[in-house]
Amino acid sequence: MKFRTQRISWLFFATCMLLLCLQIVYGFIMGFAHMGYDVLHDYIPFNTARATHTNVLVVWLLCGFMGAAYYIVPEESGRELWSPKLAVVQWASLLLVAVTAVIGFHFNWWEGRKFLEIPRPLDYLVVINVLSFVLNIGMTTFTGKRYTTTGMVLLVGLVSAALLYLPGMIWFDSQVMDSYFRWWVVHLWVEGVWELIMGAIMSYLLIKLTGVDREVIEKWLYIIVGLTFVSGILGTGHHYYWIGAPEYWLIVGGVFSALEPLAFLGMALYGVTMARRGGRKHPNKIAMYWTVGCGIMSFVGAGFLGFAHTLPSVNIYTHGTLVTAMHGHLAFWGAYAMIVLAIISYAMPQMTGRKFFDTWVPEWAFWISNIGMLSMTCAFAVAGVTQVYLERRVGMDFLEVQAAVAVHFTALVLAASLFTLGILLFIYDFIRYGFPSDEAVEGAAEPEAAAAK
Amino acid sequence: MLSKSQARLFFAVATGGFSFVFLGLTVDTVMQVPERSHSENITEEVIHGKELWESNNCMGCHTLLGEGAYYAPELTKVVDRRGAEWMRIFLRDPQAMFPGQRKMVQYDFTEDEISALIAFFDWNGKIDTNGFPAEHDLAPPAPVVVAATSGADAMATAPAMVATVCMACHAVGGNGGNIGPAFEGVGNRYTEDELDRWLADPASVKPGTAMPNLGLADDVRGDLVEWLMTLD
Ligand code: HEC
Ligand code: HEC
Ligand code: HEM
Ligand code: HEM
Ligand SMILES: [Fe+2]
Repeated sequence: MKFRTQRISWLFFATCMLLLCLQIVYGFIMGFAHMGYDVLHDYIPFNTARATHTNVLVVWLLCGFMGAAYYIVPEESGRELWSPKLAVVQWASLLLVAVTAVIGFHFNWWEGRKFLEIPRPLDYLVVINVLSFVLNIGMTTFTGKRYTTTGMVLLVGLVSAALLYLPGMIWFDSQVMDSYFRWWVVHLWVEGVWELIMGAIMSYLLIKLTGVDREVIEKWLYIIVGLTFVSGILGTGHHYYWIGAPEYWLIVGGVFSALEPLAFLGMALYGVTMARRGGRKHPNKIAMYWTVGCGIMSFVGAGFLGFAHTLPSVNIYTHGTLVTAMHGHLAFWGAYAMIVLAIISYAMPQMTGRKFFDTWVPEWAFWISNIGMLSMTCAFAVAGVTQVYLERRVGMDFLEVQAAVAVHFTALVLAASLFTLGILLFIYDFIRYGFPSDEAVEGAAEPEAAAAK
Repeated sequence: MLSKSQARLFFAVATGGFSFVFLGLTVDTVMQVPERSHSENITEEVIHGKELWESNNCMGCHTLLGEGAYYAPELTKVVDRRGAEWMRIFLRDPQAMFPGQRKMVQYDFTEDEISALIAFFDWNGKIDTNGFPAEHDLAPPAPVVVAATSGADAMATAPAMVATVCMACHAVGGNGGNIGPAFEGVGNRYTEDELDRWLADPASVKPGTAMPNLGLADDVRGDLVEWLMTLD
């Protein structure tokens, strides 16, 4: 860590850990409900559990991105954070909004649109919050000593993510228009601007961990995020097939979304080749695991499993079934959860000055959580394909089919337990590192700084 | 090999170009959607239904237009599938209609709110969705109804409600649900009076029964009883 104020990101990372636990608890509630044990129905009906599960996911990922930005941007622009006080206020208010929203869900208070369940009045607070974050990061960048591609791509990604939240706040009388613009948030986030954020964090980590020349890494960053937008913008069409939008979206969405895996293939190759090419062995091996793992798993979850149901001829059957949930889990995990865990793994030793590199805990956390998540994906896949076959093709009644696939939710819950074990190990390691310390500030002079000049 | 500034140019041109095309297509879509979705039929009632749909987060269990959660049935074509009459009875007391099954939240909707929800579903069901939900292409061929069975005869004289409501749970001539007993022979088992009391309030006849109180008006009930008595 070069600057004192980078330590602020610890607050955000710790929040990630807490919210991840909460997300998992609500995941289990839904898993049991699908098995037939909706015992909490009177207190936490399924829609409450689901809204909590997915919104807490989005909030902890955003928290992770913000933490990453507070860590990376000072270093990339060569100065302390513009206003550390504002950053702390921003953190506290974000947490307050999130907690209020989650409590609201338990009292039937929400906007009631998938992934945008946060009640409309709170949306304005989210906007103010994100603006103050962007201001802080923006001022740090523009008054800094240098501009780097990594820093700029991160900033552009964060600012566009904030702007794209706005179309999701508009009320429409028509369900079709409602859905059309809802995807400007949901799709253009995860298959657009969030990939910029992911790419920038990955590029930062690769620069730090591999010792490959910054110019080379950043050139590829441009190409990958370029591919993201070539395919991802018009790829939004894969959500417009069946909602009442014109027929040409079947072709536009089909063709361009079929190209989207290229960007993720790029991420995977990026991680693997840079790791190979880099001569230097960074002692923080586990951060390298998460970084390269993120590239690979994002390709499997988003690229490969996304492609599996993106063509209209397949999607007409799989649309809105558990097949989508299969893809949603591995994509969010591989691309965004793993990149956040990667930056946390990298930053913790830097911020605290404690270098516990040679223990088994983080390595097991990595393998167990990944194997757990892959097994969960398989459980969803079997349930999903069976559902598509019986309900959508044979025409069996919905509830009968659900009873038939309930057994796969037992498998899901078992796999999820394994996954949870991995996450608990990760959190144990996080706690073991303790708080950031001032001694870590000079002590951690990075080899990259020396190499760059 | 590409230089870094060429790579940056590629990024900028791709982003700008494709955003431009996307905005163009959006303008065209916004112009076409009113016709494809019959937006002239979006009445106050439909809008009220949408408000109820969102303020209760029905999408947290159901899908509509294939979007939402995977815990409860897809609702785009629910009015075609179930009919307004069934939906009205169902929405008054969802758990009564599917005893012992996966639970829906018990909302205490007023009759007006129920009408608004049904209007909202009805409007959604008429959107041109490019063919979603698809035909069940592997569906077993519809059972060949033997013309002489009593079931086929019976259905010819049945009040409309039998097909739309009762057969969700009861079978006639081998078609229908299996939550309650098949109707065959029911006219022999009960008297007119017993059937009338049963339909008026099943729980008062048999506490704890899974047959819901359907809130039937007197004349509707009279027609049903008359028809049930013909099944012997
Ligand atoms: C907690 C989850 C949950 C919520 C929330 C929920 N439902 Fe349901 N709904 C179900 C389930 C499960 C069924 C399947 C029948 C059953 O078991 O009750 C169902 C069935 C239905 C049906 C009948 C569908 C059919 O084809 O049989 C309609 C209509 C319906 N719900 C409307 C609504 C509306 C309107 C709302 C919001 C006001 C809503 N539901 C909220 C779980 C839910
Ligand atoms: C939600 C499911 C459901 C619906 C809808 C339903 N019933 Fe029933 N019905 C039942 C069940 C379950 C029983 C068995 C009750 C028991 O024995 O406790 C039953 C029993 C009966 C019986 C007695 C049958 C016998 O042989 O003992 C009659 C008659 C009857 N229903 C008529 C009707 C009519 C007419 C309608 C439509 C207006 C209707 N039911 C709608 C569930 C339903
Ligand atoms: C990291 C990137 C990605 C994430 C986090 C992600 C996540 C999700 C989620 C959560 C959904 C459900 C959305 C909803 O119904 O509201 C979804 C749907 C979908 N995704 Fe992705 N996705 C990613 C990338 C991709 C890619 C690259 C493709 C295509 C190649 C793809 C194809 C699809 C399709 C076709 C659907 C619609 C499913 C349906 O019709 O129900 N996704 N995605
Ligand atoms: C560990 C235990 C977990 C369990 C048991 C679990 C279970 C579930 C279940 C049952 C659903 C609802 C599907 C439905 O609508 O019926 C769901 C939705 C979802 N979960 Fe999880 N989950 C877990 C962890 C995670 C993690 C770690 C992530 C992200 C990295 C995640 C991301 C999602 C997403 C994005 C959805 C929405 C999917 C969609 O709409 O298609 N879950 N989860
Ligand atoms: Fe998408």
